[in-house]
Amino acid sequence: MELRELHLVSPHGRLLRRWGVTQYARTEGILAEPIGDLWAVFCPTSGETSLLNNESMAVLEVLEAGPAGTAAICGALAEDSGESIEALEGLIEACWAQLIEMGLVRELRVPRTMLG
Amino acid sequence: MSSAPRSHQTLGDTDTLAFAKVLADAGFGIDVGAVSVHVRSDSKLFARQLQSVYAHFPLMDRAQWADVHLTINRASGFRRLIRPQVILQCDGRQPFEPFPANAPLPLFEWGCNWMIGQRLNDLLLLHAGAVERDGLALLLPAMPGSGKSTLTAALSLRGWRLLSDEFGAFNPDSGTFRALLKPVALKNQSIEVIRTFAPNAVFGPEFPNTRKGTVAHLAAEPDAVERRHESARPGAVVLPKWQAGSPTRWEPLTENVLFGALAFNAFNYSVLGATGFRSVVRLVRQCPGWQLVYSDLDDALATIDAAWPQVRERQLAAGQ
Repeated sequence: MELRELHLVSPHGRLLRRWGVTQYARTEGILAEPIGDLWAVFCPTSGETSLLNNESMAVLEVLEAGPAGTAAICGALAEDSGESIEALEGLIEACWAQLIEMGLVRELRVPRTMLG
Repeated sequence: MSSAPRSHQTLGDTDTLAFAKVLADAGFGIDVGAVSVHVRSDSKLFARQLQSVYAHFPLMDRAQWADVHLTINRASGFRRLIRPQVILQCDGRQPFEPFPANAPLPLFEWGCNWMIGQRLNDLLLLHAGAVERDGLALLLPAMPGSGKSTLTAALSLRGWRLLSDEFGAFNPDSGTFRALLKPVALKNQSIEVIRTFAPNAVFGPEFPNTRKGTVAHLAAEPDAVERRHESARPGAVVLPKWQAGSPTRWEPLTENVLFGALAFNAFNYSVLGATGFRSVVRLVRQCPGWQLVYSDLDDALATIDAAWPQVRERQLAAGQ
């Protein structure tokens, strides 16, 4: 069995720390404006502008508080939207490749050595 | 004996030989609104062609500042004799292949537009026709072949003031559009369409076999030249699309389509960075937008005219 993630959980079941999870950080200085039913987002590092749907924009909004992984983002969005975490996971996972390509998000890989 | 041109003269008033001499010696400055261009050329034919489409423009004082400097000279050596050519240079560079010696005007127009697109980064340069009425700009952004120039030309001949055929030049500081008043470059069948539409319209010569087919330049109306330093507040955006045989269709655009049409069609949007982004967002918020599909020019103009009072009311209310 391959160990991919290690979770530190409190006696009350609260996730305290997670290792081995890919985390994502929002690029600094992003400008975002609602344009019709989409969002226009300007990335200062690439100089590019992208039009995002609400799901992708919601991910960027959660990341404004700091880097997070898919599970944490799904948790936050599930709380806001009332959707189940399972339903959100697929949606959010599908966003990453495009958000990274647009320069709006970067991956932060936790080194395997941290898994002990 | 012809006298040397003076600064208060217009190009059309000036004797062609005298003008050709000025053009070859000190060069000629032309102020098209947001930018001034200085050009020098040893081509007498170019002097005549410039006069045909810039007749109402005043001759600039030699000492005046010019933003863009170009030379268009006849090629030397054998190229004076065999298939003679003209060569455009700016800042010591030759950005285009030489043109036939009888076509310096299209070379000048393309060279100028290219230089303006490279240089004028204090303005957001949207790729759009732009006309003005009631102090408000109507923008016509579109891809080549969409009938943008034809519609811009027709509007300019029916009481709309031409700002530009090529650039929606938006000043992010003042929030207004400026004129970049150059002749409207019409191509292929559009030339005949506009000649029929306005038989008294002033054209320069026709240039067949350019890389865009036959090209002819429509001179700006005298009033547009006179008022080329008057800016215009954002009014509305119309995306024209010429479609053979199509009835006129006028459909409102969503904000995201409008955003894409402006931002992703601009010459220097990415150069301007966040300023470009904020400018386009501002325009999308301010301007209503429509798609106009047309084949009948008169009907297309009537459709725009019918919608305009609504635009005027909206912008008047927003300005109060």
